[in-house]
Amino acid sequence: MKKNLIASAVAATLLAAPFAASAGEAELLARIDKMAAEQEQLKAELKASLQKTAVIEQKQQELASAAAPAIAAATTPAPSAAIAASGPTTIIGGYGEINYNRPSKNASAAQTDVRRAVIGIEHRFDDKTKLVSEFEWEHAIASATDSGESAIEQLYVERQFGNGLRGKAGLFLIPAGLLNTNHEPTAYYGVERNFVETAIIPSTWREAGVGLSGDTDSGLAWDAGITTGFDLGKWDAASSDGRESPLGAIHQEGQLAKSRDLSVHGALNWRGVPGLLLGGSLFSGKVGHKTEGYTANDARVTMYDLHARYTPGLWDLAGVYARGQISNTAALNLTLVGNPTPVPKAFAGWYLQAAYQAYKADDYVLSPFVRYEQYNTAKSYEALPQGLGVAPQADEKVTTVGANLKVGEGVVLKADYQKFKEDKTRDRLNLGVGFSY
Amino acid sequence: MRYRLCLPLAAGLACLPAYAVQYLSVEQVQKLAYPDATAYRAQDVALSLAQMQQVEKLAGLPARSVNWRVFGAYNGDKLLGYLVLDDVIGKFELISYAVALNPDASIRQVEILAYRESHGSEIRLPAWRRQFAGKSASTGGLTLGGGIANISGATLSASHLTDGVRRIAAIAQLVLKP
Amino acid sequence: MTAVLLALTACSGGSGSTSTSPVTPAPGQETSLSEAAKLGELIFKDGSLSASGTQSCASCHDPAAAHAPNNNLAAQFGGANGDVQGFRAAPSLRYLNQTPAFFFAADGTPTGGFDRDGRAASLAIQGERPFLAPHEMANASKQDVVDKLKKTAYVERFRTQFGAGILDDAEQAFNRMTLALQAYQKESPEFHPFDSKYDLFLAGKVKLSDQELRGLALFNDPAKGNCIACHPSARGTDGASPLFTDFTYDNLGVPRNFKLKANANPAYFDLGLCGPDRTDLLDRNDLCGAFKVPTLRNVATRQAFFHNGAFDNLTSVVSFYVRRDTNPEEWYPIGADGNVQKFNDLPQQYRKNVNVSEVPYNRHPGMAPALSPGEIDDVVKFLGTLTDGYKLNP
Repeated sequence: MKKNLIASAVAATLLAAPFAASAGEAELLARIDKMAAEQEQLKAELKASLQKTAVIEQKQQELASAAAPAIAAATTPAPSAAIAASGPTTIIGGYGEINYNRPSKNASAAQTDVRRAVIGIEHRFDDKTKLVSEFEWEHAIASATDSGESAIEQLYVERQFGNGLRGKAGLFLIPAGLLNTNHEPTAYYGVERNFVETAIIPSTWREAGVGLSGDTDSGLAWDAGITTGFDLGKWDAASSDGRESPLGAIHQEGQLAKSRDLSVHGALNWRGVPGLLLGGSLFSGKVGHKTEGYTANDARVTMYDLHARYTPGLWDLAGVYARGQISNTAALNLTLVGNPTPVPKAFAGWYLQAAYQAYKADDYVLSPFVRYEQYNTAKSYEALPQGLGVAPQADEKVTTVGANLKVGEGVVLKADYQKFKEDKTRDRLNLGVGFSY
Repeated sequence: MRYRLCLPLAAGLACLPAYAVQYLSVEQVQKLAYPDATAYRAQDVALSLAQMQQVEKLAGLPARSVNWRVFGAYNGDKLLGYLVLDDVIGKFELISYAVALNPDASIRQVEILAYRESHGSEIRLPAWRRQFAGKSASTGGLTLGGGIANISGATLSASHLTDGVRRIAAIAQLVLKP
Repeated sequence: MTAVLLALTACSGGSGSTSTSPVTPAPGQETSLSEAAKLGELIFKDGSLSASGTQSCASCHDPAAAHAPNNNLAAQFGGANGDVQGFRAAPSLRYLNQTPAFFFAADGTPTGGFDRDGRAASLAIQGERPFLAPHEMANASKQDVVDKLKKTAYVERFRTQFGAGILDDAEQAFNRMTLALQAYQKESPEFHPFDSKYDLFLAGKVKLSDQELRGLALFNDPAKGNCIACHPSARGTDGASPLFTDFTYDNLGVPRNFKLKANANPAYFDLGLCGPDRTDLLDRNDLCGAFKVPTLRNVATRQAFFHNGAFDNLTSVVSFYVRRDTNPEEWYPIGADGNVQKFNDLPQQYRKNVNVSEVPYNRHPGMAPALSPGEIDDVVKFLGTLTDGYKLNP
């Protein structure tokens, strides 16, 4: 094959080049004749080669279609054996993380936890239609007497329409922030997911409904959808869940979800400049569901975020700002006076993060990082009669310093230290191992 | 240029690509990359073991396949360049792409023929693909984070595609330049 | 409002003033009740089914007094002549339809059951004892009760509902009578109207006064009253109205009430879950002295509080909660040795069972009580909003 290329190239160059002076004309003509003959020979060889290749390719096709729908190995690309969208395929993927936390001021609270184990099954029905599903187990053991949870994280069908649009229906992730749709342990820095995107944006945030998305050649990707939302009736003012994550305390996650009030969301993400992502999202929906005898039927949750990520060279810089609001909660909070956790009016947070790929050897990649975040799950409350209200919280400020060590493409070892400004008892060392395939 | 369907969207006029998963056919890529070409000749390549070892050394990753689908683009008898077709896996699904090379083994452009994943289709963006243009295996700059910017949220697709292009650049360099 | 209710028929215990004529149901009230429930209402209000001929369920569970006694007797009187004193204060029968049968929760907490010691597994089973107890309706036997039923005006309706031959088997007939009583209590909205001022406040239809709001805040505050630890005040996550009880049990170490004649015997102790009325948990010494947490709905209409009726006004009850440990001398007698006999309604070995760890009764002498007298008044004012039958001003 190489000879063909060389021969062709040489021939082409020679043919394209202007002829030399006529002094060696006869010689040249003889050479041309010779080359023509060689070319004929090469053509015959090429034909034979092509036939051989065709036979080989046919054999490959036969092998491929005779085999059962393959479970493609995602880590080592093997396109010669791949089916290239000739029939339905089922792909199993997954991720998981095992974390160790050690509060530095309270060693007896040290804890190791199989934080999550997730199996994802994607089934492609045809070129345009696929099913995406993700099943999760948290804290190792889920039973009536254990602390674990087993949950459906995603379960939706997606269809590509003819004009570049994609539609999905089912239980899917809300496109908010940087982490929610990209939450595998290999995708973020630090053992634990950051607070802004867990306490303010309730990752892993999923709703049931329909969504539409598309993108443009200028790099703008958009998402929109109508889904279930939150249920304020689930707010328990006597527990501290609402202080850990207001939306996390009232999420429905597709479990017998009240749907009298549906929510809408939209997101825009621009990647027009290579290495830069700028985006934002908005989510809004009422949360009372016209419940009989409920004072907060007019309450509405609104959540918006702005995010940016820039990866010049070996740097990975990211920033997120997120803010949530719950309106019309004064009457409800009045019925909950005295309880430690009334419904907040606003909760918000932001962070800046910088990581650098400091060391690479074989398939080991070490990326130290630092992150500063500031968040407040109860920034303000609607006014109550004097003496009955609860004071807004102070912003918690967390600094995280650590490193991710990637082993190959799918495994990551992590270590970091977190310092809390307000509640110093939470200072802790974290170690973790995670994988994604 | 490719046919586009322009639709008014809520935010203003935006143009959507007119194709679904299969964005371009081979013929369309040929015309895109070499508009002046009058003929395309299938000139598939089979690497020898020695060549595969050389490719691995130059590209920094295995040569992976013996056989490569190559088209020579000619204007009459003048070689305009080579078009190499390949597939890589993004996260789970195949990305069909083509690398158009100049006769000196430098990259002319990279085109995506088919992209099936839900995320990461940003590798189709012209701005991102333009990063490859003009580079070759000898100039370097064909690694993710070392000349090719990553795509946030599509690291696997971006890195596998970049690896594929770098591999093809190495093959072109070793096969075209004796 | 409540004064008007109390001015109506007084409890007939002892005086025998009510007639034995057949009871006619109030017009139009329970036209949506099932036939069994209607029969249950007739039985509930029928004094002829007792030894004295004058005592019915309604005698001690007066519908006009939140189905509780309308007097301040520590225990009501019964028996053939209305002179046999009971052992415990008669509770309200309201808001019992959601009480589960008795069980031990996963963490061992005793939960549910009817009667103050939870020994009856259902409303029907609870209805059996009053017919036969010597200190209540004092019938000689189930046959005795059924014989009286045969003489009522509604016995044919009973036969139509439960079968023509039902009265031939006293056991079966008696069982149907208690089932009818259960149906009445479960179906009739008068047992669970949810129409107190607090219910309207939860629905956003009425405002509480400043003092009532302060009282609610103290009621809910885990560092002040902490009443919601056993008496939840919030709507359930499924939207259910609060019942102000979590169906569990607590041991408060309430002072011994010498108005109960049974307590004249120093060896007699009413120990609730571990006896003497309840007999299946006799070996659970850790539960001795624990009684069921009742609903606080309509608590402001009561005049006898706790299982032994030791208190007769709500303010002293709330004061007891917060001052039991800071000022025990206000509640318990001083012994011959000059020491306060704290928890004197329990034998010495069970006094350690008393709850001294939960707010607000987790303090010690010398500490300030969790609520000041003004705050106690606020809480009492709030508890007044839990009385059924609040009417919005037109």
